[in-house]
Amino acid sequence: MEKIIEYLPFLIPIILLELVLAVTALIHLLKHPDVKFGNKTIWIFVVLFLQIIGPILYFTIGRSDQS
Amino acid sequence: MRSYIAFCKKEVLENLRTHKVLILMIVFLLFGMMSPLTAKLMPEIFKSLALDGIVITIPEPTALDAYAQFFKNTSQMGLLVVLLVFGGMLSNEITKGTLINMVTKGLSRPVVILSKFTVASILWTLTLLASFATTFGYTAYLFGSGGQPNLLFSIFCLWLFGLFLLACLLFFSSFTSGNFAGLALTAVSLLILLLLDIFPRLHALNPIALASLNTALLSGAAQVSDLSIPIGVTLGLTILLLGSSMMVFRRRKL
Repeated sequence: MEKIIEYLPFLIPIILLELVLAVTALIHLLKHPDVKFGNKTIWIFVVLFLQIIGPILYFTIGRSDQS
Repeated sequence: MRSYIAFCKKEVLENLRTHKVLILMIVFLLFGMMSPLTAKLMPEIFKSLALDGIVITIPEPTALDAYAQFFKNTSQMGLLVVLLVFGGMLSNEITKGTLINMVTKGLSRPVVILSKFTVASILWTLTLLASFATTFGYTAYLFGSGGQPNLLFSIFCLWLFGLFLLACLLFFSSFTSGNFAGLALTAVSLLILLLLDIFPRLHALNPIALASLNTALLSGAAQVSDLSIPIGVTLGLTILLLGSSMMVFRRRKL
């Protein structure tokens, strides 16, 4: 375990990048009235809990085309 | 030429505004950071699992393990993300009808295909380079800077395979309708290539070697000469697919 803490400076940027991805997707999701598939609640869970792949799926197939 | 540059600019803007550049960059940077770290921490991860007294001993990780992780991540998840991100680059515009205006005003259709391919491949090149630079730096720091043979060649192979996939996407999107048909057909042809890899006779020809032999190249299990035919085949196929997608798209009803 202490070895993991030793590598914390390497882990923080990774966690930050994942957060940036999730938060950008979440902001986009909340600002837009609807999504292509399913409903917004499902997408909120997908974006927040599926690491990396959740936001990607949202931006590639979930987002609505209205700007 | 002017319309080519103008359409390229439009493509870059579109990719920026739809967050595609952001996704590609973040995902590939993440792979670049995670791969050497995963390799380094692998013994710790196994130790913390503590399977009822079963002791798993794995040898001290080396720089080769870091690159093995990197090539595993980028050739599987990475290429999947590239496919997802660029999957709709042509078919979305066809279903939305946004190309009709430009084409009736004189934009030539081959230019559409060519500039989409150019912009997608530039983005793919930049993200792969950024990801590789990160892994290279992290590996040098965590494992010391031991030179790996064929490292750049290995990256080049993966890069070429990415270009081949982009050409596949454009080709299949140029005659199918719907948002996902082009993407699905590309995935199917990737599966076919993977299945063909079972036959030893086709090993020497299969483009898939470019994305599967990367680590073997570093460890010395595969030689540069083993890949000369797959590289030729992939280059030929990429040019053929691009050319035929321009021809097919010219006739297509928008």
